[in-house]
Amino acid sequence: MNRFTRGLAVAVGVALAATLVAALLELPAAAVYLPGAVAQHLAQSGVEHPVTAVLLNFRGWDTLLEVAVLLLALLTLLTLRGSEAPVAEVEAEPLLQGLARKALPLIILMAGYLFWAGAYRPGGAFQAGAVLAAGAVLLHLAGLLPAWAVPGRLLRLGLILGFLVFLAVAAGLLGQGALLQYPPALAGNLILLIEAGLTLSLGLVLAGLFLFVTGRQA
Amino acid sequence: MTEAWLEPAAWLIILPLAWASVAFLAGPGRGARLAILALVAQLGLALELAADLTQRGARMHAVGGWGAPLGIDLMADGLSAVMLLLTQAVALPIAVYAQAYFAETHHRHAATWFWPLAGFLLAAMNALFLSADLFNLYVTLELLGLAAVGLVAVGGGTAQITAALRYLLVSLLASGGYLLGVALLYGAYGTVSMTTLAPLAVGQTPLAVWIAAGLMLVGLLAKTALLPFHFWLPPAHGGAPAPVSALLSALVVKASFYLVLRLALGPFAMMTGTAAGLIGVLGASAILWGAWQALRAQRLKQLVAWSTVAQLGYLFLIFPLLAADGLALQAGALQVVAHGLAKAALFAAAGVLMRATGRDTVEGLAGVAGRVPLTLFAFGLAGVSIMGLPPSAGFLAKWLLIDAALKQGQWGWIVVIIVGSLLAAGYIFRVLRQAFLLAPEDSHFQPVPRRLEWVAFVLAAASVLLGLRGAELVALLGVGS
Repeated sequence: MNRFTRGLAVAVGVALAATLVAALLELPAAAVYLPGAVAQHLAQSGVEHPVTAVLLNFRGWDTLLEVAVLLLALLTLLTLRGSEAPVAEVEAEPLLQGLARKALPLIILMAGYLFWAGAYRPGGAFQAGAVLAAGAVLLHLAGLLPAWAVPGRLLRLGLILGFLVFLAVAAGLLGQGALLQYPPALAGNLILLIEAGLTLSLGLVLAGLFLFVTGRQA
Repeated sequence: MTEAWLEPAAWLIILPLAWASVAFLAGPGRGARLAILALVAQLGLALELAADLTQRGARMHAVGGWGAPLGIDLMADGLSAVMLLLTQAVALPIAVYAQAYFAETHHRHAATWFWPLAGFLLAAMNALFLSADLFNLYVTLELLGLAAVGLVAVGGGTAQITAALRYLLVSLLASGGYLLGVALLYGAYGTVSMTTLAPLAVGQTPLAVWIAAGLMLVGLLAKTALLPFHFWLPPAHGGAPAPVSALLSALVVKASFYLVLRLALGPFAMMTGTAAGLIGVLGASAILWGAWQALRAQRLKQLVAWSTVAQLGYLFLIFPLLAADGLALQAGALQVVAHGLAKAALFAAAGVLMRATGRDTVEGLAGVAGRVPLTLFAFGLAGVSIMGLPPSAGFLAKWLLIDAALKQGQWGWIVVIIVGSLLAAGYIFRVLRQAFLLAPEDSHFQPVPRRLEWVAFVLAAASVLLGLRGAELVALLGVGS
């Protein structure tokens, strides 16, 4: 890339940013006010926190497809990976291992809390899964968890279970009149079921994005 | 009223998601058999939906029962039904083809990942054709883009992975532009539902909405590989395994085109009016440049991929010609269907020719006429539709396009359409001529499974015969618009 193209790219970027700022400054009041609609229907959603209500009830369809996007990211990674077994691990430090062993129960407890708290305050399956995945990465870096080879049947089931539960609930509720149309009485429990599956599977998927790659290069 | 739990629109998305998951769990053997069975059901569902729409008109499905703007609406009208029918009609034969194509043991790695990725790809497209929510459409675009990138990389070679990465970068940048546009629209109107948006977007338009329209359209044009954003397509489509190329070239690029069309007919109607001339000129340049590159290509699959760049150009000629008579819209939809079937056939045939000759060059085709005559016949038949000769569906599309241009007195486009067809004839006959030459003494031909040949033939025949059923397609297209 020569100096001219670089200059051009910078100029276009600056112009776009300036136009965006100008546009945002003169933004009119929106005609539709969705936070109001969310607050009004929160009681029927099965949870008390508006973000969880939007993610798993009002716009649960987006979330279902987003989980598929995460799975696909992992699948795409696996296509690139070839089938050779991971290389042996580097020697580990006892201090690091000791710390990681002590941290693990806390990490699991934290993930469990985040999953449970999602019903009434910020939290939920994505955050809980991310914490679980961080735990797996920590164990790997400390030399306690080997990198993952091509996934066997049990790991594959774990990776996809959360998505399958979500999909089954979405399809099973078609009889209520539409995809993901929770009966109000069961909404809370069904959302809890979906979140539980997602916590496990998203934890594995996110950990996999690290552990499937690292095995090849070590 | 259909029973709620039998809703075909919903099952068209659930089924491919389910078989993709099972294929991931169960491996390629059972995964492939299940996929083919499910695709038969999906084709049935698409037909049922089309028949239902013709009788009762367009319909909505409020996911979660909330309805827009709080929830997400799925919407099925004539245009969605045409796209859904094409998708299932191409995917089923290509799945049958892929099962045989990947049967050999050295394709084991590709086969393992092909089936789950293809399932997610089809689910993404079906969800995209049914969604009436701009943010939900973004999610389907991401799903589609990632699945397509994974499929390009499934072949495993360095060239494929380079092409896949370049495709990934373009795709992400384009999705980013689209997402920024959606955010601006939400800021301006407070909703991302297309049905709620459409009445709000008329009248005084804030600057933010103009920028949103620009960002979203440019992003989608890049995903559709319209010139000058076409550079990623030939290596990605030309380098992937044949069944993948067929899915990508026949269907995936059409999905982002469909979205451009939806936006141009809906919330951005007046804005695309301003840009229509420019989009048309880009389309015309794509027709000429793509065909010229196809004429010069040394590799067979590169030739077919450049032909896609050219044929996509025709789709963008409709924007300056969109009018109340609906001729240009019909031409666009017919071109999508005709090119979809014909291009799937061309890539399927190219896959057979590569297997038979053991290489991917146009020059190496000498003598294949005597070895795989059925495949060559399929290549020629699909070529009839690409060139736009009667009675093919490609002919009908180009005829309607010329008709629309004539009615509006825009003569310039007609010249481009005719020159483009002549150039297309040039590159199709270049392949056929080479195939009928005598094989050199030292050439070896490999036997090819008959099933691969028959799939190419069926797709090619469909692209030609569909021209005779154009009236039904046009009638279906008219539902709800």
